[in-house]
Amino acid sequence: MRVGIVGVGVVPFRTVTPEYSWKEIMYEAAQRAYADAGVDPRADVGSFVTCAEDYWEGFGIFDEFTPDQLGAVLRPACTVTGDGIHGLAQAMMQIQAGLADVVVVEAHSKVSDLLTYAGVVHHAFDPIWNKPLGGHPYYVAGLEMDAYLRASRVGEKACAAVVAKNRQNALTNPRAAHGSKVTPEDVLASPPISAPLKDLDVAPLADTSIVLVLAAESRARKLAANPVWIRGVGWSSDSPWLETRSWTTAAYAAMAGKMAYAQAKIRNPAKEVEVAEIDDKFSYKEPQHLEALGLSKKGSTANAISRGDFDIGAKLPVNPSGGSIGCGNVIEASGLHRVAEVVLQLRGEAGQNQVDHPRTGLAASWRGIPTATGAVAVLGVGR
Amino acid sequence: MTFRDRTTNVDALRSWRGDVEADYIYTTGVAGERFFTELRDTGRILAAHCEACERTYLPPRMYCEKCLGPLSDWRPVRGPATVEAVTIASVDAHGNRPPEPEVWAVLRWRGIHGGLVHRLAVPPKQAKPGLKVHPVLRPAGSRVGNITDILYFAP
Repeated sequence: MRVGIVGVGVVPFRTVTPEYSWKEIMYEAAQRAYADAGVDPRADVGSFVTCAEDYWEGFGIFDEFTPDQLGAVLRPACTVTGDGIHGLAQAMMQIQAGLADVVVVEAHSKVSDLLTYAGVVHHAFDPIWNKPLGGHPYYVAGLEMDAYLRASRVGEKACAAVVAKNRQNALTNPRAAHGSKVTPEDVLASPPISAPLKDLDVAPLADTSIVLVLAAESRARKLAANPVWIRGVGWSSDSPWLETRSWTTAAYAAMAGKMAYAQAKIRNPAKEVEVAEIDDKFSYKEPQHLEALGLSKKGSTANAISRGDFDIGAKLPVNPSGGSIGCGNVIEASGLHRVAEVVLQLRGEAGQNQVDHPRTGLAASWRGIPTATGAVAVLGVGR
Repeated sequence: MTFRDRTTNVDALRSWRGDVEADYIYTTGVAGERFFTELRDTGRILAAHCEACERTYLPPRMYCEKCLGPLSDWRPVRGPATVEAVTIASVDAHGNRPPEPEVWAVLRWRGIHGGLVHRLAVPPKQAKPGLKVHPVLRPAGSRVGNITDILYFAP
């Protein structure tokens, strides 16, 4: 049975949201999604899935706090401690298992309320082997960037071009918080964080909430004129040990992609995917993920970037939304945001950032430092 | 927009500053106990070997992540470590820029699956992959039995 996305609610990204509580941001995204789908959450929705991690929120047992703002009081609801695409997969399976016809999935970021971002990231480090050594957690991104740049033919210049592209794309995305005119030279001249990683290589943080409404095929056809079908989902985790995982390739993304491509019957992703929203929490992650997902050939990615092969208007636009670098890093909501952007592209509703009539799109997430976990969704329109 | 009434007066914005009391001990476990006791008492770095997969794990653990079999064959790592990747951290744990940047490295040993991630005591310009380095430990007697007993790696 196919599962379609029939409702999208995105709260425009902002660097701070001082007037709303995190619950109100969720409420706003939900109201937008329910209006888009034309559903009454109290009557039409069979189950609710939220995606969150207690330390990002600042309080415990997050899932207890979710029902009221989504219309889920005394209804089936659960929280996935993971990225939004993990939640999307959970929601899709609930529909395919026949548990519900319509399922809502939510993920958000109110990271502007978090006063000690680096401290919380550091808290995710192995408490025996890594955390006692201290340091800013971005040294792990610096090490990975060094390892990846040396193993690939991608250089700092290509990474800087990715930043310029994504910041530029964000300028015309009304949902983005960090659009700006940035040249590759600006990126290369920005202050070092953990060399080769520089200040502008890092996606700045943002607040948002994303809600999607999913429906079983027959229901989706009634709710939407042109449902966006979830053709495949995949997720994977490499060894969590910094010491034993792959530093040069995003092995988790390759595995997650393989799983999603098999369901979607995609044999040649580079030819079949027409728009891609790929995790870029750090600039080097975009080319690394493109290679892992089979969307760019190892060894030729730097040239492809300099030719503009991933620009809006080229054959495979990558992060036409502006990605995390241009829209903002919304932590566990990153994957679901990318799914929402691909849905808008496939519906032809991406405004100035619209890609020319895509029918197959891909969203790929990564849970950020220090994880080696990612998830992939392949979406499509038409038969 | 979904709310008809929105706050437009910044003076009316309210928040409450809180913190989370969350203190723990972190149990090193059987494999960690063995590794850190050996490091403290003899200064040796121990790895755990899986006969079936011919893999020797550092950090050592009680099970093989490939075949999931239990591991009990302990072996000290031999020879220098080789630097695989380096980064020059200009920002400290609190986001400040200390006068001297810190060098971090991924360290590998021949025949070992894994390695260590630690600080490197070499000038940033000389910190390059391929460099052969050795662990520099706290003096015997002042070691405490955790990863900070290795102060840094140096040529």
